Amino acid sequence: MTRRHVPRDLAERLLGGPVVWIGLVLLTAFALGPFIWMLLTSLKDRQELYATPLQYLPVRPTFENYVDAWTSPVTPFSRFFLNSLWVCSVTMVATTAVSVLAGYAIARFRFAGRDALLLIFLATQMFPSVLLIAPLLTQWRALGLVDTYQALIYSNFSFTVPFTVWMMVGYFSSIPRDLEESAMIDGCNHFGALCRIVLPLAAPGIAATAIFAFVVSWSELLFAISFTTETSMRTLSAGLLYMVGQYEVQWGPLSAGVILSTVPVAVLFSFLQRHLIHGLTAGAVKG
Amino acid sequence: MTTLSLPRPRTRPLISWRVRKLLIGYSYLVPAALCMLATVVVPIILAIKMSLYADVLYKPQDYRFIGLGNYVRLVQDPVFWLTLWNSVVWVFGSVILQFVFGFAAALLLQQAFRGRALVRTLTLLPWIIPGVVVGLIWEWLYQPNYGVINDLLIRAGWMHERVAWLSSPDLAMAAVVFTNVWRGIPFFAIMLLAGLQAVPDELYEAAHVDGAGVLERFWHITLPLLRPIIVVATATRIIWTFNYADLIFVMTGGGPANATQITSTYTLLQAYSSLDFGYAGALSVVLLLVMLTFTALYLRVTKGVEETE
Repeated sequence: MTRRHVPRDLAERLLGGPVVWIGLVLLTAFALGPFIWMLLTSLKDRQELYATPLQYLPVRPTFENYVDAWTSPVTPFSRFFLNSLWVCSVTMVATTAVSVLAGYAIARFRFAGRDALLLIFLATQMFPSVLLIAPLLTQWRALGLVDTYQALIYSNFSFTVPFTVWMMVGYFSSIPRDLEESAMIDGCNHFGALCRIVLPLAAPGIAATAIFAFVVSWSELLFAISFTTETSMRTLSAGLLYMVGQYEVQWGPLSAGVILSTVPVAVLFSFLQRHLIHGLTAGAVKG
Repeated sequence: MTTLSLPRPRTRPLISWRVRKLLIGYSYLVPAALCMLATVVVPIILAIKMSLYADVLYKPQDYRFIGLGNYVRLVQDPVFWLTLWNSVVWVFGSVILQFVFGFAAALLLQQAFRGRALVRTLTLLPWIIPGVVVGLIWEWLYQPNYGVINDLLIRAGWMHERVAWLSSPDLAMAAVVFTNVWRGIPFFAIMLLAGLQAVPDELYEAAHVDGAGVLERFWHITLPLLRPIIVVATATRIIWTFNYADLIFVMTGGGPANATQITSTYTLLQAYSSLDFGYAGALSVVLLLVMLTFTALYLRVTKGVEETE
């Protein structure tokens, strides 16, 4: 209670009161305003959408744009959605399996080149994906993988694996070794100890990392447009861009598409927010 | 029928336990190593090789080794130099503004108020949604005839006629940078918020008792303690923004007249639209060199920060 005895200066009184409230309102409005505008747009019919002067609120709210986007034969949004769901799910499962093993090895075994390996994983996170487009396309053409889900899934590894390995090393290092060692004395082998002791303990972190792999793959655009040519193979990001490319931009269905692409990641993200923030800053705060 | 059974001698394991443990460790690394090899290492080597060839996808008859030909073309290409300058504007414009507003946001979100958790989640939204979605939302906001930005500015009396933000050579860069700022504020806000929460309250209280005002406390306690996280966040953000092509590609495609063309979108267009893999390869090598320089600098700086702690 020592704070009460010291007189508060002017700056503090201002900052404690109105400035904080005004700042918070502005911040929230700035962050959400564009979404709200898109949501309002998606609920307007054609006439309201292109009204002059601009009409801010939909007078006759309609879901027609959503139906149009979802069922359109030219830009089949439902198909894009399923493509994204499949590519991102497989990427997520495979990335998690691969990075659990690698993360465990790096956290538990002392071997030559361990630090160098960690540094390589860190550096690859900084690689520009535009650099990979021409060589990967050449590679997928040679293997006959253009217009396949595999090409997109494999390409996604280039940015999901380095990050998830890095996160896993952190989670595994925080689990005490004693538990595994006693399990191994009781006759478990390494893999058994990993599955029965370490994985359950690291489960929340692993789940968060897996969802993160899903979310970043969901946003991937450049690989998706470069390695697919058929409309039916496009993911959501690529599909949205394709909708823009068709004749003049149809902002009604497009805004509905934008909202539909945002909702799944927003929901997933709200679940793992705390884990992610922890993972993102763990390395940084320590430094 | 009798079988001859001799007591089996206890043999030493073929491979010692230590070596076996090491082998198990390496075998766990194999899948991740293969992934990186196939999707990062080999492609980078391939990109370097491509940069030495005349390699345009739809002109296979012209495919041949040309040595440093693509690099000579690069040095003589005025657009390339323009993209480097544009990258500087794009990177520093975006990162400085993201940092300033992100810091302000972190300080606000650190205050205790009702519904803080909800506000924190909501303000993160711009950062987590796909880049193409960000681009499209802002294209619609900037739209000359039906965009809400023009409408609001005119209603407020700050402008008299509609502006074509994204197709005007003078405004397009500012418009895409502003969009990128919107998107990146949450990144700095979360990183700095985590740093702020790690500062012990006692420090502020002690300073307060000693008569230090809000600004003095910010300057002498908050900033120095946050320095490591500021360095890390800013450096990673600079590298990432330099590489980031999605937003500009979606919003302007580098136009009008290359006004928003940065080096990474230029590389993308060479590979994706012109299918000129040789030239794209040379540009990729430049990107790679810039990235490595930044990363080396970053590692030095963070090491310096660690040592001064």
